[in-house]
Amino acid sequence: MDRNQIGKWLKNPGKMANKYSFHVVYFCTGCGIIEIPPSITTRWDAERFGIIPVATPRQANLFLITGYVSTKTLKAIIRTYEQMPEPKYTVAFGSCPINGGMYYDSYNTIKSLDKYIPVDGYIAGCMPRPEAIFIGVTHLWKLIDMDKADGYKRYREDYEFYRENQEQLFGELDWPPLFKNKSS
Amino acid sequence: MEELKKNILSIFNDLEIYIRKDNRMFINTKKETVLSLLSYFKNSGYDHLGLISCNDWIDDSKFELVYILSAYMANDEEFQEKEKRIIIIKTRIPREKAKFITVIDIFENAEPYERELHEMFGIKFEGHPRLTPLFLELKYETPPFRKDFDTEKYVENKFGKIPTIKERKNNQKNERT
Amino acid sequence: MRELELYFGPQHLGMVGNFSIKLKVEGDRIIKADANPGFLHRGFEKLMERRTWMQNFPLVCRINVVEPDHMELVYSMGVEKLAGIEVPERGKYIRSICCELARVGSHLFGLWAYSNMLGFDTVAQWAMYHRDLILDLFEELTGARVYHIYIRPGGVRRDFPDGFKEKVIETLHKIGGKVPDYNATFFENSLFKKRAEGIGKLSREEAKSMGAVGHVLKATGMKYDIRKIEPYAVYDQVDFNIPTREGGDAYSRLLTIRDEMIESVHMIFKLIDKMPDKGKVYTKTPNPFKWNIPEGEVYVRCESSRGELGLYMVSDGGDKPYRAHFNTPSYNHGLTVLEKVLVGESVSDVGNIMISLYVVAPEIDR
Repeated sequence: MDRNQIGKWLKNPGKMANKYSFHVVYFCTGCGIIEIPPSITTRWDAERFGIIPVATPRQANLFLITGYVSTKTLKAIIRTYEQMPEPKYTVAFGSCPINGGMYYDSYNTIKSLDKYIPVDGYIAGCMPRPEAIFIGVTHLWKLIDMDKADGYKRYREDYEFYRENQEQLFGELDWPPLFKNKSS
Repeated sequence: MEELKKNILSIFNDLEIYIRKDNRMFINTKKETVLSLLSYFKNSGYDHLGLISCNDWIDDSKFELVYILSAYMANDEEFQEKEKRIIIIKTRIPREKAKFITVIDIFENAEPYERELHEMFGIKFEGHPRLTPLFLELKYETPPFRKDFDTEKYVENKFGKIPTIKERKNNQKNERT
Repeated sequence: MRELELYFGPQHLGMVGNFSIKLKVEGDRIIKADANPGFLHRGFEKLMERRTWMQNFPLVCRINVVEPDHMELVYSMGVEKLAGIEVPERGKYIRSICCELARVGSHLFGLWAYSNMLGFDTVAQWAMYHRDLILDLFEELTGARVYHIYIRPGGVRRDFPDGFKEKVIETLHKIGGKVPDYNATFFENSLFKKRAEGIGKLSREEAKSMGAVGHVLKATGMKYDIRKIEPYAVYDQVDFNIPTREGGDAYSRLLTIRDEMIESVHMIFKLIDKMPDKGKVYTKTPNPFKWNIPEGEVYVRCESSRGELGLYMVSDGGDKPYRAHFNTPSYNHGLTVLEKVLVGESVSDVGNIMISLYVVAPEIDR
């Protein structure tokens, strides 16, 4: 450890411990799941960055959305995201969550994921290599240091707008709202 | 394949059979003879139902159902001529209020194919045990695989009109002031 | 005893892929199982009707994520049959070598999933490492690890680079030399035999009436393989065996897969010896924006690593397909066979049965 690190650890030990031990929810959402097993096994070892997959969302810290999202998967993603405890971060792979990607005219895929749950960053590639995944994680460390990775805070403040968007897409939702309404 | 053609023409009438050079036999038939034709083929050894598909000829206002059959091996060790052939049976049904009979009594694995055709084209199969949605989550006015369902217009109307979070916040601020 | 309804849902540690099953359980035994697909549906067949013949070819490989080469092969064979194009000899040999390498890689992925679920972590790490060596070969040949976009209508995109043949032989010797270790650690282990014998049993008559193909049928004793029945590419000039087992349970299916992998490795050595040294690898096709194909319909099939894969395509004389319908092997295995086989088994064996049938979720939904 050098002098910069010692200062950071003494100022905010919770943030540093949170950063260097990401627990990933084990949910294979799309195409990009084909590059997660090589990242976890011995050739491109992810545990040296502190990343390890866990079984339930109640124990998790980081949510990787690997590729495109269809309407049926979006319901499962919203329920899983709301079960994770704070602070939590989301990272999306590829160009399909940004503007639809190569399925821009499909009737069943979501064209822009940021309207429904907050996304902290995107990783380029179709599919991204394991080295690209690790570079994305180190960028996320920098954002956490500068206090810019605040997706979960935005979700808490603007919850009514997110919920209106979700209801405009699906109609009636069969789970109650997570946070109480602030404006009333 | 010529023998098979003669045998079929002696039992059934009002069929059209065409044999192509690469071991494919095409049969065009009326919708009432489809069930008996399928059981005749299953009894003479063609017991693998490959696919049930549908073409949408919107100019003639008809649907065309396609059944594709092939043969499993009768003898475990050697390959005979029979396994190379593929038989394609086609019928036409009207497009308004389309309905047909199910073939589950003859081939057991036809159940998910017919469920998918009901969901994507809107064809009703009488006698099917469960015709519930298989893949889709939202409800559509026209079934999605028909030729008069325009996907770009649907995407603009449904997904393009949902605003981003910043736009919603600005709208609320403008309303309040 | 009371009944309980469980969701073996998409977010579960025993599930590989985005798929869900609804179970009705009494104590520890399953009474009824309902498969719930549709989490990965993109409407491929509607998307293909809006793109020209050549624009479809980068789109088709995304149907099966684990092994995309056979999808490209079956689409190229369909277009060549409709338009009447011949593939040159060297192109056919390169196509066969690509497909056999993809088959070995896909079986190693399945071995990772199965042994990880049972708890044999060492074998899982070896299998993933060897699959990475094969993906390195593909990266040198085609430019990408996962989605190759290499087998096009008319042949293949480009020829082998210099020194590629020697690299293939060296990699295969590395993988083949580890087979005695795989046998001693996993396949001849008595724990694996106790855990997998008698689970998910299928007799041959049941498998035939449910439409099973591929290794599920070979594990009941029938030698049904499209590479011998209707040979495509150069499979009629190479002699190889088709391994089968009696039994029909999860134990025989895994052993059939191991024998198939060893047979593929021997076949690649024979193909490299027989390949012609020089020649063109593709025939020229007309301008892709103005290519009209005459009317007709066609049904082609090939043998992917999971079973028989077919494509039904209709053209009406224009520059886009009128209808394209894929017949994938996981459709029957995941929807009809799975619901029948799970009745009467214990809840802790659901992952065991599902992964031994090699169900890949994007193939069902397309």
